[in-house]
Amino acid sequence: MAESDRRTLALAGAKDVIEYDHNHDGIDRRGFLKCMAWAGAGAYCVIQGGVMKSFALGGLGGKDEQELKGELSFVQISDSHMGFSKPANPDVVATLQAAIDKINALPATPEFLLHTGDISHLSKANEFDMVDQLLKSAKVKDAFFVPGEHDVLNDDGKQYRERYGKGTQGNGWYSFDKNGVHFIGLVNVMNLKAGGLGSLGNEQLEWMEDDVKHLSKSTPIIVFAHIPLWSVYPEWGWGTEDSAQALGYLKKFGSVTVLNGHIHQTMQKVEGNVTFHTAMSTAFPQPKPGAAPSPGPMKVPDNELRTVLGITDVNFVQGKHALAVTDQTLA
Amino acid sequence: MRQKFKLCIVVWGVLLFSQFAAHAQSAQTSAGQDSKGQTFDVKIDNFSFSPPTITIAAGTTVKWTNRDDIPHTVVNDDQKFQSKTLDTDESYTYTFTKPGTYPYFCSIHPKMTGKVVVQ
Repeated sequence: MAESDRRTLALAGAKDVIEYDHNHDGIDRRGFLKCMAWAGAGAYCVIQGGVMKSFALGGLGGKDEQELKGELSFVQISDSHMGFSKPANPDVVATLQAAIDKINALPATPEFLLHTGDISHLSKANEFDMVDQLLKSAKVKDAFFVPGEHDVLNDDGKQYRERYGKGTQGNGWYSFDKNGVHFIGLVNVMNLKAGGLGSLGNEQLEWMEDDVKHLSKSTPIIVFAHIPLWSVYPEWGWGTEDSAQALGYLKKFGSVTVLNGHIHQTMQKVEGNVTFHTAMSTAFPQPKPGAAPSPGPMKVPDNELRTVLGITDVNFVQGKHALAVTDQTLA
Repeated sequence: MRQKFKLCIVVWGVLLFSQFAAHAQSAQTSAGQDSKGQTFDVKIDNFSFSPPTITIAAGTTVKWTNRDDIPHTVVNDDQKFQSKTLDTDESYTYTFTKPGTYPYFCSIHPKMTGKVVVQ
């Protein structure tokens, strides 16, 4: 490890440095998983040049912020369900505002916000309006969206696309580049079949194959979609029928991160070069897979609600494989 | 003159009454309170249709009511009938006139399925 790295770690009061590279590809899987386990308690993991570093969120000094900021940082929120008002959370406006306050309190201002869907609860105009209004106070330079199944009710997503679909194709899919990272926004909540899971559809898959065809394999890829792109719990519809095909187009890339929502809890999995991560909701939690008769809103004691809602902070640092994904609860 | 006037009133009255009756008739039919068939209730709760499979006589109206704390829809696999989004305590009715099997699902949560068998 470079001497400069050691000094940085010492200054930041880093708790641990892990270096395992059993697959000889620069991915520190064991360390990453260990770090992800800390993430729930508010740890901040950064991979730099294949080496995992972790810092407690509370112990970040001023001059280390640049080191920690990395080369690209953004924040993901999900499932705001504006319009929901039931015992699980009678005030989703307040909790979304709390999430925005958290964003604004991050050590480094995220460049943009990613909303992975279920922006509204019933696809109503005033629900979308309210979210747009609240997001105005977020200190981010831009915002990107993908729809959830609650955003495309009654009109096949027409209103959603009018509001958030500028520059998108088909049902609202698109891609963009930021600081050398390629982002792909997918829509897997349309044309769902009876008894089925989420669905991408042939048109979108063909577009995606073409979209990544000419990218160099060292381009970091971040895919975001509402329903998980891996089989979290099919019995509850927590998966996507044709995601394997989509992931197949990404096999050549050294670093792929998949960010999803829909399940209202954090879950992560590392498989080969792909890291899957789901975000908490800003509205209400849902039970763990199979822990309840159905995946509906879960009521927790009032003083615990904000500990099960949250945001996800993502930092990318240039290197072989470098991504830090940190979940923060609202309280 | 008076006679003609009286006649006008009577004609006008009859016309009014017949219009009224016609409206009342159509209102009654669209509300599904037709004396022909009965109404069968299906409850939507806990991400499921209850009972999931029902067998009814042709002419019966099925009424789905959402008792869940999440919105759901009722959509026939073959698109013969489709509800709008039903929030908690909202209902949707459909009258089945032709015998057959009608599988349906919730388009928001497609794992939720049900079936209406019409004899």
